[in-house]
Amino acid sequence: MRVLVVEDETRLAENIAAAFREGPGYAVDCVEDGETGAALAAERCYDLIVLDLMLPKMDGASVLKRMRSGAVNTPVLILTARSETVSKINLLNAGADDYLSKPFDLGELLARAKALIRRGKGAAHPTLREGDIEVNTLEQTVTLAGQPVVLSRMEYRILEYLMHRPRAVVSKQELLEHLYDYNWEHHSNVIEVHVSNLRKRIGGQDRIETLRGRGYRLLLPGGRTA
Amino acid sequence: MKPYSIVRRLIGMVLVVELAAALCVTTAAFLYERHTHFRAFDVLLRGRADSILGAVQDAEDPGDNVMLDGSQLSAPPDDVYEVRDDSGRLVGRSENWTGLGSVEKLDRGGHRHGHGPDGEEHFGANLRGRHYGMIRISGYRVVDPGEKGGGVKRTVSIVYGAQMDRVWDAVLQSVSFYAVSSVVVMALTALLMLWLLHRGLRPLLELAGAASRVTVNAWEFEPPPTAQATRELAPLTEAMQAVLRRLREAFEEQQRFVGDAAHELKTGVALVKSSLQLLGMKPRSQTEYIAGLERALGDCERMEAMVAQMLTLARIEQAPLQGKAAVAEGISLLREVIDELAMMAELKQVRIELDEGSANTVTQQAIAIEPEQFKLFCRNVLMNAIQHSASGSEVRVQVREEESSAIFEFQDHGDGIGETELPYVFERFSRGDPSRSRHSGGTGLGLAICKAIVVRARGGIKIESKIGVGTCVSVRIPMASGVAEMLGD
Repeated sequence: MRVLVVEDETRLAENIAAAFREGPGYAVDCVEDGETGAALAAERCYDLIVLDLMLPKMDGASVLKRMRSGAVNTPVLILTARSETVSKINLLNAGADDYLSKPFDLGELLARAKALIRRGKGAAHPTLREGDIEVNTLEQTVTLAGQPVVLSRMEYRILEYLMHRPRAVVSKQELLEHLYDYNWEHHSNVIEVHVSNLRKRIGGQDRIETLRGRGYRLLLPGGRTA
Repeated sequence: MKPYSIVRRLIGMVLVVELAAALCVTTAAFLYERHTHFRAFDVLLRGRADSILGAVQDAEDPGDNVMLDGSQLSAPPDDVYEVRDDSGRLVGRSENWTGLGSVEKLDRGGHRHGHGPDGEEHFGANLRGRHYGMIRISGYRVVDPGEKGGGVKRTVSIVYGAQMDRVWDAVLQSVSFYAVSSVVVMALTALLMLWLLHRGLRPLLELAGAASRVTVNAWEFEPPPTAQATRELAPLTEAMQAVLRRLREAFEEQQRFVGDAAHELKTGVALVKSSLQLLGMKPRSQTEYIAGLERALGDCERMEAMVAQMLTLARIEQAPLQGKAAVAEGISLLREVIDELAMMAELKQVRIELDEGSANTVTQQAIAIEPEQFKLFCRNVLMNAIQHSASGSEVRVQVREEESSAIFEFQDHGDGIGETELPYVFERFSRGDPSRSRHSGGTGLGLAICKAIVVRARGGIKIESKIGVGTCVSVRIPMASGVAEMLGD
């Protein structure tokens, strides 16, 4: 998963980014002003946007409005120092999905971020289950037919992303965009290695199909048919 | 101070004027009434005396004397009269005649007394304790006019008197009528004015009502149409609107500052909290802990600096403007600050040059500013200049005198400030360019503090900048002597 943090207080943005990377293992991009934030959000390669309200050049509310009017449906978590109910109502009505008042709890920020990403992908429960594969996104553990499977960090992230989109073709670029931050192009060859390792651990070509030139697809033998 | 009512004062004034008018009218009425009544009284006396003369008859006696025929007389019972003939013989008198008593000259306007044109004489008399107006006339009666030679001519002298109290009563009665009607008119005027004034002052009350509805949450002040239509209230409504506008601006400015300060503080707390929570997210090595704690400590120090600057700003802005200006030796303080910052400048490889030549003229003169605040000002401006200077360049400080003010110019050769951000650099928490304020550890308050200091000292500050060329901060601070003159010391 890839998160955009728009926050002008660079040290705070660093801390949030470090928490995302160390906790759920998301890729994080940080920007300091509203204009850059709005421009990056329009790329649609993020699974969540954490947006501060008081920003240079363009304030958070305007960034939100521009995103929503440009049909960018990425979940948005607002960080606000204002605690008046009216401003929260206005933000939620303007298309925000959730808000946190500063000073916030880092654990709460991570939990809300996970919930927003999950919801954004149409899953209500933190445990993703497709066929005999079960992914617990809280503990970041995977079981295959009841047996725990040990995955590396990157392998887990690839599986989690694919689990959100079973039976759909996920291009290599999409995978790269959502799993790495802005310098993902450097990882272009590495991802093939990670996918192939993951495939070995969860049951070979039957599980993850490679469609040459198009991408990868999670197959679920014995599972529900689409 | 005891409050006084315009209504009461106006009514009182009108009543005093009316009272004076009423007194004048009453006096004039008194004089006029007295004149006419006494004139009528004189005519009446004359008439009655004449009727007495008419009653003098031939006595039909051998001495051809005259007599008073009382049967034809109808004189009022209070009147007195006496008739004597030319030889002094008593012809007749009223029953209540007691003699003339004390005779007095009449003084009642003095238009006519004493001898009249045809031998009549007016005088006053005091009979039985009462004032009488008397008349003495002479007439003649011809006895036996049918006889040869036209008869005998008998001259008689008649003294007639009537009580003057009646006349005075009549005069006083009509005067009191005037007086009473004046009092009634005054009372009516007072009531009418009370009503009219309350009616006339209603726009003022409505204006006060509209003004009393203004609160910090509802600044809208719409003067009522009645007040707007009243020319006399126009200065008041305009002044109130202007005052409210300024108050509102100041209040909103203050609220914005409080909001911004809250945002900054909450962000600061969020930063410290997240740094510590991040450290506790998973077990780490000792070096990681130490590095993390150092970062958290740095975050704390930044917050501390920001709080200190906020307090400094509040202290400078809220200090009362002193009547007597503080005095500072501008140049020597500036040198002190330059010495303090020498280390920092050396680190950045920046030279600070004080243009001594230009400084000499001003050195001897004190400037009107708090010495500590002037040092803070110089420190802020110079630190900004050093931070944004290219290494190897110099910061030039020039001083000169202009119209009893000292001008300090701080010129750096640094990265400059963009045109769009320049107008906002003096605003509190100005964050036109995050790379300027955030990365250099600034809080966005430094220049706001500088401006507050200069404004307190009744001076002016301006900033000119060009991207890539440098920035020049120019400040004007009045000389102590100039301020003393201005304050009239």
